[in-house]
Amino acid sequence: MTTIAITVNGETMRAEVEPRLSLADFLREQCRLTGTHLGCEHGVCGACTVLVNDRTVRSCITLAVAVDGAAVRTVEGYDGDPLMALIRRCFNECHALQCGYCTPGMLAVAYDVVRRLPQADRARIKAELGGNLCRCTGYLGAVNAIARAAEIWSAGSERVGAFLAARDRR
Amino acid sequence: MGIGASLPRLEDERYLRGRSQFVGDIAFPGMLHAAFLRSPHAHARVISIKKPEGAENRVFVAEDLSGVARIRSVAKLPGFRGSDWPTLAKGKARHVGEAVAMALAASPAEAEDLTAATVVEYEPLAPVVTMAQALAPDAPLVHEQWPDNVLLDSKLESGDFEAAKRAAKHVVTREFRMNRQTPFTLEGRGCLAHYDGRLDELVFYCSHQLPVPLQIGLSQTLGISQRRLRVIAPDVGGSFGLKSYLEGEAVCVAWASLKLGRPVRWIRDRHEALICDASCRDYRCKVTAYADAEGKVLALDCEVIVDAGAYSPWPWPAGLEGMMALGNMQGPYDIRAFRGRGINVVTNKPAGQPFRGVARPISCVGHEMVMDALAWELGKDPAEVRRLNLVKPEQMPYTSVTRKQLDSGDYPRALRRALELIDSDGVLARQRRGEPDGRLIGVGIACFYEQTAYGTGPYGYSSWGIELVPGLEPAVARLTGDGELVLEVGSHSHGQGHETVYAQIANEVLGIDPHRVAVRHGDTYTSPVGTGTYSSRSMVTVGGAVDQACRLLKRPIAQIGAHLLQCRIEDVAIKGGAVVGPAGSVSFAEIGRAWYHHPENLPDGVDAAGLTAIAGHKPHDPGVFGYSTHAAVVAVDRDTGKVEILDYAIVTDCGRRVNPLLVEGQIVGGFANGIGNALYEESSYDENGQPLATTLADYTAPSAPCIPDVKLDFFEIPTPFAPYGIKGVGESGAIGPPSAIISAVNDALRPLGAAIYETPVTPRRVYAAIEAARAR
Repeated sequence: MTTIAITVNGETMRAEVEPRLSLADFLREQCRLTGTHLGCEHGVCGACTVLVNDRTVRSCITLAVAVDGAAVRTVEGYDGDPLMALIRRCFNECHALQCGYCTPGMLAVAYDVVRRLPQADRARIKAELGGNLCRCTGYLGAVNAIARAAEIWSAGSERVGAFLAARDRR
Repeated sequence: MGIGASLPRLEDERYLRGRSQFVGDIAFPGMLHAAFLRSPHAHARVISIKKPEGAENRVFVAEDLSGVARIRSVAKLPGFRGSDWPTLAKGKARHVGEAVAMALAASPAEAEDLTAATVVEYEPLAPVVTMAQALAPDAPLVHEQWPDNVLLDSKLESGDFEAAKRAAKHVVTREFRMNRQTPFTLEGRGCLAHYDGRLDELVFYCSHQLPVPLQIGLSQTLGISQRRLRVIAPDVGGSFGLKSYLEGEAVCVAWASLKLGRPVRWIRDRHEALICDASCRDYRCKVTAYADAEGKVLALDCEVIVDAGAYSPWPWPAGLEGMMALGNMQGPYDIRAFRGRGINVVTNKPAGQPFRGVARPISCVGHEMVMDALAWELGKDPAEVRRLNLVKPEQMPYTSVTRKQLDSGDYPRALRRALELIDSDGVLARQRRGEPDGRLIGVGIACFYEQTAYGTGPYGYSSWGIELVPGLEPAVARLTGDGELVLEVGSHSHGQGHETVYAQIANEVLGIDPHRVAVRHGDTYTSPVGTGTYSSRSMVTVGGAVDQACRLLKRPIAQIGAHLLQCRIEDVAIKGGAVVGPAGSVSFAEIGRAWYHHPENLPDGVDAAGLTAIAGHKPHDPGVFGYSTHAAVVAVDRDTGKVEILDYAIVTDCGRRVNPLLVEGQIVGGFANGIGNALYEESSYDENGQPLATTLADYTAPSAPCIPDVKLDFFEIPTPFAPYGIKGVGESGAIGPPSAIISAVNDALRPLGAAIYETPVTPRRVYAAIEAARAR
């Protein structure tokens, strides 16, 4: 057993873990943060994607001990975050999810793409989503949602605020 | 926000905030985890099983499952051979991955350690891997008690076939191979059984598409009454048909929880899913069209062979795919003579199970490949040959040669519109010019209908004599004390958005804001006994039931409203979530309060049953018929065999669209499934019956870059046979792509004299077809 301390959604979680424990299992079973989903457990489908020190990581093939000391952000960890609020609205309005199982991973990638590549065109957005499998939507809703979120985000915080406020009034 | 509104989904919030709950997210104190030991052989006798020392009471084999009946799923079709599906292999294993023993432990890893320490002695037998092997005269038998490996051999003949054949001037024949796929849902199968001692009942959580039928199936298999069995399907991470059968693992887990009095959970991993989930789309077909000099098809002769795998799933027995493939092989065309044969064989592979589109993708390929072949033989435009043969709007309602009752629509217009959307004239000019990069351009078309929301009558499931004939759907509508609405339904959503669309129906009838409507489903405690979501039926059947229940609810609402407004019931109307009278209005909240809090003030004659209504919908016996035309433009690289989709259009008529945003989601999602079917996905096996696609690196489900942007258009020609003229649409998008893409690829390959009649159309297969043509 190894002692680790991981900052999960801003809170430090200390635990004694087996070296073979994956980050995904640590989050789901020990932190009871079940919003992170396991789709394949071999690093292909992307459903388990979370942010580790602000970079997208597949938590199913990352060992918990390997991120000792790091900051992990899961789908549960975006309260009050304006970019994620915007992305969620766009996902909803563009019908970017159906069964919702792949959605937490998709959101993590969307968050990363909008910040890193705000000018990305559709082909680039599709390429960035290439590591996240979805069986329901055919992806085009997610591509539309990310493109819309990137456009609004690039226009600045005033535009984001106005967009979100208009939706909240409904 | 009623019918026709593109209302963003009401259920999205929980998925977007990580608050959804799938079966793997549920845990109980003291829960045990199950793991299954699976056969490494495709076909083998199980000689002995040695449990690990000291863990004898944590590992279970077939003989331990006292009181558990085998899963038996039959049809009363002539010649149908039923197979028992043992919950754990008994005597023999019939495919790689068949469960042989179950282990229980405090964690999944420890349970897997126990299966690894269990020693099974097998005697390998010669496996039956291919359809040809299954049909060979000296084939090994998958089921020893059968004389051969044929599960069902059905024939369908209609019209004067011989006369039509004699009158024909052109005869074309094509053969096609659609290779086996796996449904691949992002969330795999899984279940959690929890014995509730207080109520003496088993609570069974399961990632399942049909919780109500599952309750029946588990009850029959476990021998416990339905009263003592509560089935809950929480959020379900995709299904597409996969999670509709009664799986042996589920029976084992339920049995173990009952026996031990402890919660038991099993979540399959991706490797298990790829080797032993029920598979789909494993067909060969051969179609001959007999046509007159102009290309009008006079008769169709077809043979379909379905590889049904080793077992017949409950409640939908194997064999139905062959029947469906035949019954739709004439497609949307006016053909008056038909002869068909559907052979369903068993092999040493996992059972076959309906997957989105069920048999229609092969039917569509069947009728469309002979339309293309006829056009090429006659030197005509493939679109023109289709136009000549399509059922015309003035022929509606039209009964096909296979007794399908196409009810409404304009099929030729859908074809015309799809060709417009891809600018077919422009593409043909481009094709003639040639591409600067040397790639070959092709145009492909697929016209088809989708029979949806079948009824119980002789055109539907009842004619097949299966164990559980679905059809009727009830719904409960209940106004709460604070004036909001709860709908309880027997269907379940595994991504379709029912919580939104049923609320839109309620809005249409009662004017209530959909945000004030809760849809309760997926739990046999609250679900009325309906059969569930499949065959593109929920919007028609359950939507119809919700509509009726809300209409029934208007009566007590109006009665109470009229009393509160001190006017006659004839003088009130229900609008915008309120009762409106000549001199004012009362909100639903006031109605609810009057009934629940102060019944003493209500006049005599107000129905004592109050603000709850139950009503049902009986679907039209032949079902209702949507249709589509898909048009594809592809470029084929002759040096690498790579196919790129340059343009794609889908024109669909699903009658009135309750929520156009969600309809588009269904079409695009199906389209992506169809692209997987056409270009990428294959569950291949070696000569020993060993699965070769055992990771997602080998089984290539399409990712975002594989899916081109697609042009969509819709007609809304209502069916006369469903409430609001709604036709189902859930599977439509998945039916056309293999056919349209193959048609386009073969159009592109024509200058080389090459053709390909097999999916998936991998670069390797295209290249081989080009090489074969070169060698000729």
